[in-house]
Amino acid sequence: MVLAAAAMLFAACDKIAEGEYTTFAGISATWSEGPALQATQRAYVEKYTGPSCINCPLADVTIENAHESLGESLVAVSINHWEGMGMPFAGQPDMRTDDGTAWDKYFGVSSLPSAYINRNTEKRYRSSMEDILAGLQSAVGEQPSVALEVSAEQGAGGGIAVVADIQFEKAVAGQLTLTLALIEDSLRYKQLTPDNGVVDDYVHNHMLRDVMTDLWGADVDAEGRAGERRRAVFSEYNVKNADIKLENCHVVAFVSERGSKRVLNSAQCTITLAAAE
Amino acid sequence: MHLSKKALTMALCAVAALGASAQGIMGGHVTGNVQLEGQMSREDTAIGAADVPERMLMNARADILYTNGDFSAGLRFEAYQNPMLGFDAQYKGQGLANYFVAYRTKRLSVTAGNFYEQFGSGLILRAYEDRYLGLDNSLLGLNIQFRPVDGLTIKALAGKQRIYWGYGEGLVRGADAEADLNALIRPLSDSPLHLTVGAGFVSKYEADETILSPADPEQRLNLPLNVGAAAFRLNADYGNWTLQGEYARKGQDPTVMNGYIYRPGEAMTLNMAYAVSGFSASLQAKHVDNMAFKSSRNQSGEMLYINYVPAINKQHSYASLTMYPYATQDIGENGLQAEVTYRLKKGSKLGGKYGTDLRLNGSYIMGLDTTVVGGAGTDGYTAPWFRPGEKYFTEVSLEVERKFNKALRLTATYAYQEFNPVVEGHTSDLYHNHMLIGDLHWRVSKRHSLHFKAEWLGSDSRYDPAEGHTDRRAGDWLMGFVEWSIGTHWFVSASDQYAYNDGVGNYPAVSVGYTAGATRFQLGYGKQREGLLCVGGVCRQVPASNGLTFSLTTSF
Repeated sequence: MVLAAAAMLFAACDKIAEGEYTTFAGISATWSEGPALQATQRAYVEKYTGPSCINCPLADVTIENAHESLGESLVAVSINHWEGMGMPFAGQPDMRTDDGTAWDKYFGVSSLPSAYINRNTEKRYRSSMEDILAGLQSAVGEQPSVALEVSAEQGAGGGIAVVADIQFEKAVAGQLTLTLALIEDSLRYKQLTPDNGVVDDYVHNHMLRDVMTDLWGADVDAEGRAGERRRAVFSEYNVKNADIKLENCHVVAFVSERGSKRVLNSAQCTITLAAAE
Repeated sequence: MHLSKKALTMALCAVAALGASAQGIMGGHVTGNVQLEGQMSREDTAIGAADVPERMLMNARADILYTNGDFSAGLRFEAYQNPMLGFDAQYKGQGLANYFVAYRTKRLSVTAGNFYEQFGSGLILRAYEDRYLGLDNSLLGLNIQFRPVDGLTIKALAGKQRIYWGYGEGLVRGADAEADLNALIRPLSDSPLHLTVGAGFVSKYEADETILSPADPEQRLNLPLNVGAAAFRLNADYGNWTLQGEYARKGQDPTVMNGYIYRPGEAMTLNMAYAVSGFSASLQAKHVDNMAFKSSRNQSGEMLYINYVPAINKQHSYASLTMYPYATQDIGENGLQAEVTYRLKKGSKLGGKYGTDLRLNGSYIMGLDTTVVGGAGTDGYTAPWFRPGEKYFTEVSLEVERKFNKALRLTATYAYQEFNPVVEGHTSDLYHNHMLIGDLHWRVSKRHSLHFKAEWLGSDSRYDPAEGHTDRRAGDWLMGFVEWSIGTHWFVSASDQYAYNDGVGNYPAVSVGYTAGATRFQLGYGKQREGLLCVGGVCRQVPASNGLTFSLTTSF
């Protein structure tokens, strides 16, 4: 019995070898020479929200208004906070994600709503975020150091292929990473509102559903010289959650500094879906 | 996953299909018990009792069991509207908390639904419930016990653990075998040496998730998804001697409980005892290293424990002796306990007419002598086996119990404790506590009896909010209790706990109760001191309260 128990212990357990307790929270990618790009500086806004957060709808309105003002220059991602007001109501879908929670904890989000522009953690936007438009306009007005474009297409087998192109507009020192995220719009679930009311079918947009490249993305294989162009192809991403409606999804990409996490530029694209049989 | 109407319907159908009336339908019978507890508390800044918005808090439960031959089915309804003080707010709600169907014969036992189980002393698995602690880590799944021959029991189970009104995501699987060697091996059947051996294995599975290394947020923890624990145990009886031992080992299990380190866990318990008429002695030893085993790697607190590490210090019931209860440190501790009991003979000068019992107990519990090698994402620390570390708890107690005549029995106790507040997450010097207790039972007449308790606790702990001390247990205490039992139905009691000499608080309380058959009603009014309520080394925090409490229990 002792031998049997011991054998089961060793056979049925996962043993992590010493030195392998941690691994880089990202993926590797294959890079090649990329095409020439028209440089467009966009503003990436990462907003932390929650269904029990009564001021979050105000922030949603602010972001939608910013969209109308900035158009495609605004790339927005909403993440449900990992605890407290970010938790789902009973019987409601849980929009928290493993990766979103990891980002949330990494940036130390402590109140809702909160938002960062280009992950500049020196300035956190809160409450109704009425002052965020000026920050977004300022971010969009910067001279791009990196141009970024992205496209996504669903293959016949259902997997999604994403192509990301990067072009260095000026020399950039330090390691950069490319992160891809799957974002879904038009999700409807319960939300508290500023008047202490409840909207059962509140429309939630820009919701993070998954980080396609793992948490910290893929290292950009480049020397950072001005004019350098790189292309990465992520050939087969499979949606992990059956509740995700791909027709409501788009892909967000951003290039960031690996150390500071500061986003240099971002882009988004719809997903060209495979023809239904 | 929530305990749903669907589950309720299933269980009710199972019971109803076999007979829905109270007794005797289809040869089966229904038994049950009901418990209702209520509390009304108001703000009392003197003792730190917070304002409670609800006029009345209530915990209620009803267990119903249907038995028909080898078949049984049961369910439990629970209601927390709202949970009483000290119970987690996540219990708020009501519904079916537990349901099962079971088939039990001499050789085979199968339970589907919620079940409780324990392998050995619980070092690798104990699914149990303690309503007073607000704990229920029952498993929802399948539990099979098979006894192919006399003397051999094999258990196998799989399920998910209850947490409040749902179930944890982690999947628990386990198997255990216990063999009575004297029953199995014919030449040993008449041996004075009685041997029982057992071994068990438990594995939990949790899905992968992103947990970043605090030391390097670029890195994520490479998590073991299947974590196993195995244990071996031996019981040996020879004449007046008994030896019980169990050793358990757990694989890498980075969790919030251990700071996400990869050091394997281990635990050992050893108990040796000798007993003859009028004298007994026992010696216990325990070693625990990183042995918190939960079905969720991110669950702190007392929920979702798969295992249980038994307490090694003496478990008390007197208020002064439980003022500073020691909670088992399953993350790491070494402990020793010894107890000697001796009966002074009847009719002797010291023993008196009825004899006098002496009980001397001592326990010494310390942490591990650790050398830190890193934080999350490392092995955490090294610790030589059983080398003593920081002192956590020491206690010596002497109890003398003497019956003077048929009506009068006195128990007198002296105890000395050293308590390290670090085990409760505080930093402070050791508290040194002396306790004196007198406990008198007096049967005044056939219908009336009195029970008196007088306790004194002297402690060098101090309560001084200006100095940042917030422990309301601090200071010296006088405690008194008197209970008057009238016949077999009524009792009335009054008690007080009074702090002085730099302590704060005065906690008077009165209570009245009525018992009729299996039904008991109790009504109390008074102040409740904040503190830890512990059962077997497992504790929950109870906040201060001031108000009315009542309880009704019955069974049928």
